[in-house]
Amino acid sequence: LEVTELSFGLRRPVTFAVLIVVAAGVLAIQFTGRRSIVHAQVGAPGQIAVFSPQSSYAIPVVDVGGQPYVGLVDLLEPLGSVETKLDGKKLKLHFSSAGNKQQEAELHDGKNDIKVGGKKLKLPANFVLQNGRGYISLSSVSELLPRLGLQPVDYRTASQRLLIGNVAQRFTAELKKGTPSRLLLGFPAPVNPTVATEPGKVRLTFKRDPVVAPEPTVHYDDPLITGTSFSEHNGIAELEITGSAPLMANFADGGKTIIVTAAPAPAPTQAVQQLPLSVPQTAATALPQPTPQAPPRPRFLVVIDPAHGGADIGAAITPQLPEKDVVLALARRVQHELQARGIAASLLRNGDYAIGLDQRATSINAARPALYIALHAANTGKGVHVFTELLPAESAEPGGFLPWDAAQAAYADLSGTVAGSISAELENRKLPNSTLPAPLRPMNNVAAPAIAVEIAPPGASVDEIASVNYQTQVAQSIAAGVQAVRAKLPEVNP
Amino acid sequence: MTRRIVVMLMMLLVVAAGMGIYAWRLHKKVTADEERLAQQQQSAAPPANGPTTNVTLYLASDADATLYKKQLSIPLPAERSEQARAILRALFGTYLQSGSQHPIGAGADIRDVYLLNDGSAVVDTNAAFADAHPSGVLAEELTITSIVATLNANDAKINRVKIIVNGAERDTLAGHADLRRFYVASNIGQLAKELQ
Repeated sequence: LEVTELSFGLRRPVTFAVLIVVAAGVLAIQFTGRRSIVHAQVGAPGQIAVFSPQSSYAIPVVDVGGQPYVGLVDLLEPLGSVETKLDGKKLKLHFSSAGNKQQEAELHDGKNDIKVGGKKLKLPANFVLQNGRGYISLSSVSELLPRLGLQPVDYRTASQRLLIGNVAQRFTAELKKGTPSRLLLGFPAPVNPTVATEPGKVRLTFKRDPVVAPEPTVHYDDPLITGTSFSEHNGIAELEITGSAPLMANFADGGKTIIVTAAPAPAPTQAVQQLPLSVPQTAATALPQPTPQAPPRPRFLVVIDPAHGGADIGAAITPQLPEKDVVLALARRVQHELQARGIAASLLRNGDYAIGLDQRATSINAARPALYIALHAANTGKGVHVFTELLPAESAEPGGFLPWDAAQAAYADLSGTVAGSISAELENRKLPNSTLPAPLRPMNNVAAPAIAVEIAPPGASVDEIASVNYQTQVAQSIAAGVQAVRAKLPEVNP
Repeated sequence: MTRRIVVMLMMLLVVAAGMGIYAWRLHKKVTADEERLAQQQQSAAPPANGPTTNVTLYLASDADATLYKKQLSIPLPAERSEQARAILRALFGTYLQSGSQHPIGAGADIRDVYLLNDGSAVVDTNAAFADAHPSGVLAEELTITSIVATLNANDAKINRVKIIVNGAERDTLAGHADLRRFYVASNIGQLAKELQ
């Protein structure tokens, strides 16, 4: 083609028209390509449940070009220490988990050739960058994680459950024939399923336990218990036991055994009601027996609330770093540090989803924690600010009826004690800090000792707020501060 | 391809280019208008005529999380609620200046202040105040403390304050500080002392 001909165009009209069509095509490809990624951010089709020795959590799945993808940092953060650095279209990732040396990975936007530990790896689908966040396809997870020292990896596609490490709990089922027959389900570790019964069926739903079955269906030649059926879907596992009469399930051996047997028949008269309902003990039943329900033991639970989530991003620390992500990472570190000190801790939000303020308060109070810790982050100010609720101290006694908007008032003294202890620990680590009351929801609705911690960058660089070293120091201060005053905080009946 | 189609394509290209130039100019005009409007709102200040009165402002500083007092001489209207509004507009005017130690969102303004007989004040701010306010527990708390302490310092009859946005109640200022409650001046006064 000659430039002069192109510039006038009319002398070779066909060439000119072809060029316009090609240009329009390129633009259309660019446009539709962008749309598919944008759509991925908006229309999250669901989530996957991840089970690992370190933590169990759920992460959202997004749709990129018709394929399910997950956020790389969302996936890795609960499993170890993650640091990412964005360099144009390249994402550099440093990851280390307990017992494994640090691995470095390099991923390029729109490419499936990546480098892990200096070695090349071809993923089944392209890596994608969107708004500074990296996403990998679910099909790539099983390829990438072992190279980062996390194995074995078992992604159960149908149930959207990802099992990392040897966490799978394979149960055994043994039928003890008798009058009535009993099905003994044995688990390698205590389980906590929800139990639902309907005529001739007991359904055990495992949401938090990585339970897998040796066989999906089993039939029994028994007049009472006729079979079991195991299924997995939407991140949960379900075991259904069918029978010819109403069934019931009892827990034994500290939650490691579930015994399914006939439900007691409804008592026809007062006289019959006084008869013992327990199953007669036989010589053949040397296995664990259902223990009578003991009264709940008081326990010390800390509920950690990483603020915001989902569409509510909180403060934009930088254009690529929303508060919701910073506080989720910090919350996981605080949980880890508390657990390392023997203190039970749970996260109110363990993924990127929205929870309303009233919903947060309801969930916190329902959990009956010994302590509530809200976590926030901001790019104004410096260091760490520890807040208690700004409420006038009231004479209300903990435990009675409390006004919803001022439920925290009855716990103001204990909350202040915790805040002071954490502040002292921050001081020990030479982290700039202050302790203040603040008008913060849902802290005022919490009927338990409660504090909020807001972290700001420790120095001049805003990015330092997400550094592993800074967050670990803050998390250690919080955990050590809680540990120091644990004896002063009352244990609570669940 | 006929000559007629080529000419038509050329004409379409010319029209597209023309529309692009028009859209670009329109964008520049809107940006300039917005900047001019923001500058006008940034200078939200009491009327510059009439005798002046000394007022006390409680000003916030983000860097060290403190409040400090500042005396200012401004003309004040005769009516109490108008006075409260003028004082808060002076406070906002300070925050909106470039180099402010506690910047708030451009265009933030006080629409009205309603004073009730029981000592309550309801401060009606515009949407820009909340929508563009920096998000954070400390930043939002400093703003609220500054408003309540300033009102109470200049009118001791005001003993509790509620902040509304564009005439309506709002859950939080910018995602953190509670706006559903009345702030008691004595509580905030105590907090203001701690922050000094």
